Amino acid sequence: MREKQFLMGNEVLARAARAAGATGMYGYPITPGSEVLLWWAKEAGSEQGKKDGLVFLQAEDEIGASFMLSGAALAGTKAFTVTAGPGNVLMQDAFSMCEAMRIPIVAYINQRGGPSTSTVIYSQSEVTLTAFGGNGNGYRVVYAPSDLQELYDYGIKAFNTAWKYRFPTFVLADGYQAKMMGEVEIYDPHDRGIVMASTERYLLEEKRDRPIDQVVPKPEVHIRVQDGVEYSCYRNCLNLEEETLQVNMEIKDAWDKAAPEIEEHETYGDDRAETLIVAFGIVGAASKQAVDQLGGKARLFRPITLRPFPSAALKKAVKGAKRIIVPESAIAQLSRLVKETLYGVTDAPMIEHHRPSIGINVDEIVDLVRKHHV
Amino acid sequence: MQETFKIVICGEGGQGVQSIAKIIAQAAFDQGKKAVYVPYFSTEKRGGVTEAFAQIGEAVPAYPKFAKADLWVALSQRAVERIHGYLKEGTEVVVNSYLVKDLSLIARWKPIEIDAGRIAKEEFRKPRVFNMVMMGAMVKRIPGLDKDRFEAALDHVFASKYAKDPSLKELNRNAFEKGYGLA
Amino acid sequence: MSDMTSPLAFPRCVRIESKPHLFCPGCGHPEVLKAFGFAVDDLGIQKQVAFGVDIGCSLLAFDFFNIDTIETHHGRTVPVMVGVKRGNPQAVSVAYVGDGGAYAIGLGSLLNAAIRDENILVIVVNNAVYAMTGGQEAPTTLPGTRTATTPYGADSHFVKGPDLVRHLNPGAWIGRGITTRQLELRRLMTEALAFVKEGKGFAFLEVLSPCTLSWGTIDDPHATFDILENRMAKAYRLGKF
Repeated sequence: MREKQFLMGNEVLARAARAAGATGMYGYPITPGSEVLLWWAKEAGSEQGKKDGLVFLQAEDEIGASFMLSGAALAGTKAFTVTAGPGNVLMQDAFSMCEAMRIPIVAYINQRGGPSTSTVIYSQSEVTLTAFGGNGNGYRVVYAPSDLQELYDYGIKAFNTAWKYRFPTFVLADGYQAKMMGEVEIYDPHDRGIVMASTERYLLEEKRDRPIDQVVPKPEVHIRVQDGVEYSCYRNCLNLEEETLQVNMEIKDAWDKAAPEIEEHETYGDDRAETLIVAFGIVGAASKQAVDQLGGKARLFRPITLRPFPSAALKKAVKGAKRIIVPESAIAQLSRLVKETLYGVTDAPMIEHHRPSIGINVDEIVDLVRKHHV
Repeated sequence: MQETFKIVICGEGGQGVQSIAKIIAQAAFDQGKKAVYVPYFSTEKRGGVTEAFAQIGEAVPAYPKFAKADLWVALSQRAVERIHGYLKEGTEVVVNSYLVKDLSLIARWKPIEIDAGRIAKEEFRKPRVFNMVMMGAMVKRIPGLDKDRFEAALDHVFASKYAKDPSLKELNRNAFEKGYGLA
Repeated sequence: MSDMTSPLAFPRCVRIESKPHLFCPGCGHPEVLKAFGFAVDDLGIQKQVAFGVDIGCSLLAFDFFNIDTIETHHGRTVPVMVGVKRGNPQAVSVAYVGDGGAYAIGLGSLLNAAIRDENILVIVVNNAVYAMTGGQEAPTTLPGTRTATTPYGADSHFVKGPDLVRHLNPGAWIGRGITTRQLELRRLMTEALAFVKEGKGFAFLEVLSPCTLSWGTIDDPHATFDILENRMAKAYRLGKF
């Protein structure tokens, strides 16, 4: 099945979850993400939705929604939520638990203005929150799609990554992507040979493919067998510093193995171009157009995963660059990651173009590059 | 690569600003064009000023916003100031002169004045078709859009409404034609 | 039905390897948990129960049973167990929480689960105090009681969970037991659990339970009993609602 449709970003996200085989959506209305709830509510109540056992639950708040989501994943279902801004803040409580116990939830984040309630419109200022919002040293995967097609592609992929690697996985979009309408190719992942990762219950699983203590850190899971039945008890409240250290190191080891397989980026433009633009998401899309217009003056490095950050690829891409321009609709959230990666690697100066919570047009990036091009 | 045609439209909440832009973009897509639309959505859904952006062409950018428009449409007086920054040399300007009385800010763009509010009320006795009049005027000014196919697309968009009230189809078509003829 | 004549000191579903348990001497939690365990045995649902425990003293129950158990965050056990049930309709989903988790930090989730008639059992252990964090005031602290955060005595407001839930959900199973009356507690527990197992909707059981450490009665069982029966049980009505 292949069809091109003219769709709104939020509908694209909802369809991606459906195509990925998600069965549960737990959410709380917030602009600019509510249309995902609307679509799923309608789908869940349809004849086919009922047949497929789809669950839609509008929770009491984002805290409730995110913990229900965690519970649904513990029950072995592909489940997801969508949120933004203040809702993203509230959900960090549950996301942090998911990091600790390796619970494979999926969350679509449509960044809106900040700080606080701010605008319901757009920003790129939930990078730090989405990628590093937990307490402690949790690990999570963050995809940053740049257009409607990627919303669909990564909206599907997020479920595979979450269940294959058992890390909470995020699709970090923004209000523009959520609300814009445009052309998207909707496909069935099976038709493209995409193998969907299998799921497994954490609670009440009868037959496991891999021992659960190879997923959940050992100090957190106590397994006993009685009358031939295996019972699993999970905790995240630990008594000893040594236990916490072990939990952290087990999670880190799993991450270190998975990260190189998960990392993604895109480079665009003539690799002899003097100016290297580093941008993500929809500003990455605008930068791509700017590169086209600049005729060889600039090239683009676009991280697709913001976590794990494609560090090795960026270090390679920066070679030969005379300057690095980082445009972002935030203050130093992307550029902080870039600096961290490039420390000691290059002498090229970095021009940070920080436009918190406001769009960055193609023309603006073109002007920026021209201004610094000598 | 053909330049993308950029449209900004602005008016009061409830005037159908978003619907107009969305329908135009959707119809362009249905005609095989590349199209993208994004609303300027905010908390002021009612009683505020609202804007919409559409781009139509052969290769449409992934980035939905732009700095300057090729077609600039104001449905109310407040809209004129709100989207003034999107004007450039050569921008085509269309206003709903029923509500836009003061043209001093945009005089040098020689605005096309469509008295859509009056036409809807007096000629069609249905104030709500005012946006069909405006849409007609806009479609005339967008290069490469086929009028007949656009009207067919309209029938498609409003199919369920027309099923309930068949007289609406005639009314909408006439209002659209009227606007198209005026621009 | 289970009764006090059971030959077992512990329910069969109790995890013997994790005993002695982690609670303080004289704590009411093990009594509540035992009543729950006997109810699970009676109904034969050890393999079907998903047991969620809150943060607070209830977290110490995470390996009390050979029952699949998940320890969540403070006040978040109700929504987690809602998700478990929605994700696995065959599960008998139980949230085990303290009065702080239920009536303060998690109240929004509790009441909304009741409003939506979620098919889960919520067990609230009411000891009228925040015990794990060192004896601070709870929403259930009785008027005049001195706690770590009410050095001059608690105010006159306290929450009556079962009444609150009844107001929101006319069809729910609702009851309140007390650890000093094991027979009745086991009966209530079995009834509540059966209600949920049979898919009848939301079940809510509060249990009045002692915190000998915070109450300052760790060496005085009579004083513990006196507070439970003569103060708590007088302020909080017992039985089915």
